[in-house]
Amino acid sequence: MASQPIIEIRELTKVYKGADEPAVKAISLDIFPNEIFGLLGPNGAGKTTTISILCGLFPATKGSVMIDGLDSHTDLNKIKQIIGVVPQDIALYPTLTDRENLTFFGNMYGLYGSELHDKVNHYLTEFGLEKHAGKTVSKYSGGMKRRVNLIAGLLHDPRIIFLDEPTVGIDVQSRVVILEYLKEINKKGVTIIYTSHYMEEAENLCSRVAIIDRGNIIALGNPKDLLEGHPEFKNLENIFIHLTGKEMRD
Amino acid sequence: MLFIMPVVLIVISSLMQEFGWSSLTKDPSIQVLFVDNDHDSLGLKIKDGFDGSDVFEVVDSLNHLPLTIESAKQAVKKGDYLIAIVVPKGATSTMRANVRLSVAKTLAGFGLGNPMLFDGITLRDSVDVTIFFDPTVKKTFKNALISSVRENYYKFQTDWVFRTFNQEIALQMPMYKPPKEAFNEILHFREVFPSYREVELIPNATQHNVPAWTIFAMFFIVIPLTQSLIQEREGGSLFRLLTMPVPYMTLLLGKVGVYLVVCLVQTVAMLLAGILLLPLFGLPMLVLGDDLPGLFVMTLVVAMAAVGYGLMIGTIAKTHQQAASFGSITVIILAAIGGLWVPIYLMPPIMRDISLLSPLNWAITGYYSIFLRGGDFWLIAPQAVRLLIFAFSTVLITALYQRYKRPLNN
Repeated sequence: MASQPIIEIRELTKVYKGADEPAVKAISLDIFPNEIFGLLGPNGAGKTTTISILCGLFPATKGSVMIDGLDSHTDLNKIKQIIGVVPQDIALYPTLTDRENLTFFGNMYGLYGSELHDKVNHYLTEFGLEKHAGKTVSKYSGGMKRRVNLIAGLLHDPRIIFLDEPTVGIDVQSRVVILEYLKEINKKGVTIIYTSHYMEEAENLCSRVAIIDRGNIIALGNPKDLLEGHPEFKNLENIFIHLTGKEMRD
Repeated sequence: MLFIMPVVLIVISSLMQEFGWSSLTKDPSIQVLFVDNDHDSLGLKIKDGFDGSDVFEVVDSLNHLPLTIESAKQAVKKGDYLIAIVVPKGATSTMRANVRLSVAKTLAGFGLGNPMLFDGITLRDSVDVTIFFDPTVKKTFKNALISSVRENYYKFQTDWVFRTFNQEIALQMPMYKPPKEAFNEILHFREVFPSYREVELIPNATQHNVPAWTIFAMFFIVIPLTQSLIQEREGGSLFRLLTMPVPYMTLLLGKVGVYLVVCLVQTVAMLLAGILLLPLFGLPMLVLGDDLPGLFVMTLVVAMAAVGYGLMIGTIAKTHQQAASFGSITVIILAAIGGLWVPIYLMPPIMRDISLLSPLNWAITGYYSIFLRGGDFWLIAPQAVRLLIFAFSTVLITALYQRYKRPLNN
């Protein structure tokens, strides 16, 4: 593991206005270059809040975040240029075609002309969407929408990608394509921060995971190390249930 | 829809209102039931007055039967006719008797005639001209009609007084030679619409409706704009946009730009409808005036105000339903109090003051300065500045709300 973290989180706290307790409670975490880092937790654990702060969507109440040596308070615009975000929702314009969506989001990242055109073509081919190019996104299946949603976060070749539940609600084939592609770009040096409810998927994909619950990190490490530390459990899901409890969350 | 529906609206409303503006010059279309129980000069005079009017058409029989008070009343009651006028029996003789008595008493005061002849004789009671109105007839229209009847009556009475004086003086003073020329009206009314242009602009339904509905349509962009903003927010596209290296204000101004173009295209479509389409329906052609740069500036600031308002509503509203209902209802209210449908001079004083607070009032005042007064840029400047301030304020409120009330760190 590289010695210098690409993301340094220190005492990160977020208290929403009117909330009784913080959504994130002074968490500290280092994520290293070229990791596939899984942020796991039940609903309302603080995963999306943490990711949103890291993406610059809103500021932390307390604490600091450094991304690739850049301070999120002062260098947010520079940070936004090196990160890619794949939201949990299908964050696309349904009445536009896939190509129009990707061209628009590419423009937002400062990509234009043939460079953007070539990238869009490349990704549509890579994700098996070239045959459908020209259809409006609203006519796509869930898996196809997920793939376009992913491409929109990759177009500008980010060094760090944040993925919030990128495989939720899609067919197995689309899931395999997405996960294979994530592994492939990770091999090329892209750091991936990923949240999921699929423990098996996280166990296979992630080099390290953090289990977060009620705003605290309650477990951190390589999935194998976590399993070795809890020999009574067969898999990550059992450890997760053990640590977070069986109580259902809102 | 954004372009076609407002054009349809302009055509329909202009056609509907055309009568109100052109009734003084075109075919009459309001039928008035006329019951003449006087059968003498006054009844005929009032009837002639209506006959000569460009607004009314006199109807004195129904189903080939002469009108009676009862049949006229029933026809109005059923809603078949809006108005019925009844001139009572003896109206002319009463007027003549009273005039003769008044003239004789006046001349006796000058020593002409014997005052003993009419000692103890008093003026007869006045007679009632009854007018039946349908309940839907507006007060202003009622007043106009009553004034018309009264005017005809006074003309007739004045003429009769003049004639009676001449006859009585001639009786008392045989050497008196009454003037041969008839008593003429010395006042004639000439309508002039002062304009800043060489050519006088004639107010008509087109000149009023095109700007009014253009403004209304521009502000109604609040509906698609708010829906787009909320869909973007709920669909997650805004989340993605906010994580991109683009300042929020740039995103906001991008939206402003797109919808400004929509508003401008919409305005061009509506002006073209006024110039090319309305004349096909027999309506007057829209006259744009001389100051096209002024018209462009006015359109631009109205569009900016409309788009800014839409952005503000779309950002503050939490749901599609909230934005759609609040947005559309407030635009209708602002249009109503702004004088788009009812001129503000017809409103009660408090509403006139409130009207001045509506951006749609500033807009219509500015447009009327161009379309009806032939004004230039300097005449519309006060309204344009107000609309510009309104537009900037709404964009500022939008940005501040997004920054402090919704997730944003840019």
